[in-house]
Amino acid sequence: MENVYLPNLAEIVEIKQETLDVKTFTLKFCDEAARQSFDYKPGQFVEFSVFGEGEAPFCISNSPTRKPNIECSVKRTGKVTEALHELDIGDTVGIRGPYGNGFPLEDLKNKNLLFVAGGIGLAPLRALINYCLDKRDDFKAITIVNGARTSKDLVYKAEYEVWKGAKNTQLHLTVDCNEENWTCMVGVVPKILEQIRPTCQDSVAIVCGPPVMIKYTMPVLLKLGFCEPSIITTLEMKMKCGLGKCGRCNIGPLYICKDGPVFNYAQVKNFIHQ
Amino acid sequence: MTEELRNKAKELLKNKQVELIIGYQRSPDGICAKPCFIDKETDTDLLIWDTYCVYNLSNYLKEYAGRKVGVIAKACDSKSIVVLLQENQLKRQDLFIIGVECRGVVDEKGAGFAQKCKSCLSSNIPIYDYLIKEREQTRKPLEDDDEYEPIRKIEAKVLLERFKFWQQEFKSCIRCYACRQICPLCYCPKCVADQTQPSWFSKAANLTGNFSWNVTRAMHLAGRCIDCGECERACPAGIPLREINKKIEKDIKELFKYQAGANQEQKPFFACFEKSDPEDWIK
Amino acid sequence: MTQKIIAKEELYKQLNSLAKDFEIIGPKDLFNKGFFYERLDSAQELYLGEGFTTEPVKKFFLSPSEWLFNCQYNNGKNSLEELSLPDKKRIIIGVRPCEARGLILLDQVFGSQGYKDEFYLNNRRRTIIIGLACAKPDAACFCTSLAGSPVESRGMDVIIFAKGDEEFILEIVTDKGKEIFGALGQVLNETEKESHALEKEKNKELVIPKIKVPESLCSIFEDAYWQEVSRACLDCGICTFLCPTCHCFDLVDEQRKKLRCYDGCAFADFTVEASGVNPRPTKKERYRQRVFHKFEYFKKNFGENLCVGCGRCIRHCPVKIDIREVVTNIPVTENK
Repeated sequence: MENVYLPNLAEIVEIKQETLDVKTFTLKFCDEAARQSFDYKPGQFVEFSVFGEGEAPFCISNSPTRKPNIECSVKRTGKVTEALHELDIGDTVGIRGPYGNGFPLEDLKNKNLLFVAGGIGLAPLRALINYCLDKRDDFKAITIVNGARTSKDLVYKAEYEVWKGAKNTQLHLTVDCNEENWTCMVGVVPKILEQIRPTCQDSVAIVCGPPVMIKYTMPVLLKLGFCEPSIITTLEMKMKCGLGKCGRCNIGPLYICKDGPVFNYAQVKNFIHQ
Repeated sequence: MTEELRNKAKELLKNKQVELIIGYQRSPDGICAKPCFIDKETDTDLLIWDTYCVYNLSNYLKEYAGRKVGVIAKACDSKSIVVLLQENQLKRQDLFIIGVECRGVVDEKGAGFAQKCKSCLSSNIPIYDYLIKEREQTRKPLEDDDEYEPIRKIEAKVLLERFKFWQQEFKSCIRCYACRQICPLCYCPKCVADQTQPSWFSKAANLTGNFSWNVTRAMHLAGRCIDCGECERACPAGIPLREINKKIEKDIKELFKYQAGANQEQKPFFACFEKSDPEDWIK
Repeated sequence: MTQKIIAKEELYKQLNSLAKDFEIIGPKDLFNKGFFYERLDSAQELYLGEGFTTEPVKKFFLSPSEWLFNCQYNNGKNSLEELSLPDKKRIIIGVRPCEARGLILLDQVFGSQGYKDEFYLNNRRRTIIIGLACAKPDAACFCTSLAGSPVESRGMDVIIFAKGDEEFILEIVTDKGKEIFGALGQVLNETEKESHALEKEKNKELVIPKIKVPESLCSIFEDAYWQEVSRACLDCGICTFLCPTCHCFDLVDEQRKKLRCYDGCAFADFTVEASGVNPRPTKKERYRQRVFHKFEYFKKNFGENLCVGCGRCIRHCPVKIDIREVVTNIPVTENK
């Protein structure tokens, strides 16, 4: 019987402490066949089960070009994530998916890409950034703007050198307030965008971060000349089943888990208040 | 009475003594009543008072905390306001209580007055700012009506039989939580049933989960429930919820001589004790 | 479509004889509690009168609580255990036309697009539905305003019409129905057929159209109207649980088993996010979501309103909120 609610078993093979409350888990499917056949697009997510505690959706934060293991970055906020943070290497969890529409890769080809991330919002973008870097010649200039409240909240620090060193790629880091020994930019992400003035010609902006950051970043991008269909974001509402059935993530006629979580600004501005 | 009610409401709104009046209006079927919320003098003509005004409007007061609100209260509703005041959920100065002497309300599920009305002394309204008296003869409670009669019937069963009785009833609970939502005294911001860290009982609508839910709710209402009967009226599965709460009410009355909602000066049941409280089970 | 007339006794006898191979489920009169669908030991327990059941037949297809799989933990390793689906065949009798239509709408969610829910579909496959046409709609019914009818047989295998106290007219709708009930009763003659058709038309008229659904609700999303109509709402969930078409659910882990149980947009913490933020913080947003999902969003996705006009939400709402009134009075602006 095909049980759409039944997860695949996966083993935790690595745990990286990114910040005080964020860990990145590397998972290997227990079943060889499942491991080989699991394929996904950057931007898709999985329903992660901690047996006995619950299930929660997390985006896959490593690029599908770096399979077969997958990585999920998890911030400790509630019942399931607390339990997840208690797990060790070797423990088994459940993975259901991949779900969601993923980033529109065809629309990004041969374009300049502007990645704008805030805090843990870098997680879904990392999958796409590394995908683009692995297929470097399919894309033009890449600019990454990554901000956090403090330097302690910046995630994926290990990637920064690699990204800085990649062909035709710029990385701008920023924190909200100045700190000792901080050498990069200071200021909230929207302000930094105004300073950098990335080009809107032939460009697509991909934004992900806390609601307040998105709210103030959108007008800046529009002012810089980005048109609404070229601003892409990935939304998060409470999702449960991932299959477009349980109704939780229903917003307007859409289900975030099925028709999203990736949307462009033209679609999102209609229901940002819903 | 309706006339007096509308005039008073108009006056209160005009003098800005209250911002809002919570009362009853005719429901869409043209026969029954439903709750209404009036903030304009011109709308006060919607207010009605009759035997269909069964709702306990004090349930809505917590939403308007901090604002000056007028509310229509029967004797039973007034008692729940007393308990809410005792528990510091409402401020007395924010309320204007229009008490009404009621002749009994209709319990729609059956015919005739609601069970709770049979033993009610409806002129005994513990708290009000303005009283609308009944012009005609107030219906006296039936002298020989024992309000605890259904409880005694169940008490008469042996333990196993009693357990089977309640198992049969709770089997049909669908966990809609209407009993909780309609109860004025269920006001926990995060109900024990909705907590996840830890999860106290099963969310499944099976016998174990249902038993836990219903018994927990009854326990949380011990010494506080004033028998407005709304929970039983709302229950779509027809579970005799009043009987559980009334059993606890009876025990508390007999053991501790305490009756909930009697007067505002009284302390909540679990916040007081007397030297004469029975303690023969403490060895 | 075969039309026959049968005596009640004959129908009951047939049901009783099927009881060894099928589970027989039908409405029972639970006296001052109301009418409820229950598993019957004998057809004599059936109530096939004019009253409507409190809970719709939906609960036998989308279960109010259902275990989806187990997880075992042995020697430090998790392993998943699938549960076998129930395979006992069932006959559910007494299903009203509105409830049967509700199942057709649910089929769209659980069976047609994307992922197929085998728990629901298995229940559909193993069930034969004998519908009961409505002889007397009550004040809360409004199926005809939503493309329904008290005498239609969509979604059923067989439909029966009460004729007096001792007889039924039986119409076979599908092959599944024919297999089990095809041999019963006597075929109607022409006069009987005509009078039956007239009777059906008459019954349709008894349901007074009482709701007018606007073409599109989008223009009145932001409006004080929703604040007003939701004021009395208790956020209790009765309308959701008793609705033949509501289907939102929750997935919970309990004691290493995965539970699916009913949930609804009426509940305050349905959309609460891990951060604690709730995009639908008050009754206004939640009640609006209910109305919009039923009369706007579902229509956009599947072409029909997610409401069959059964009236349960109106009959059982503890504060008498009438969704017909709410929808008909929506202050739609004329120009887009």
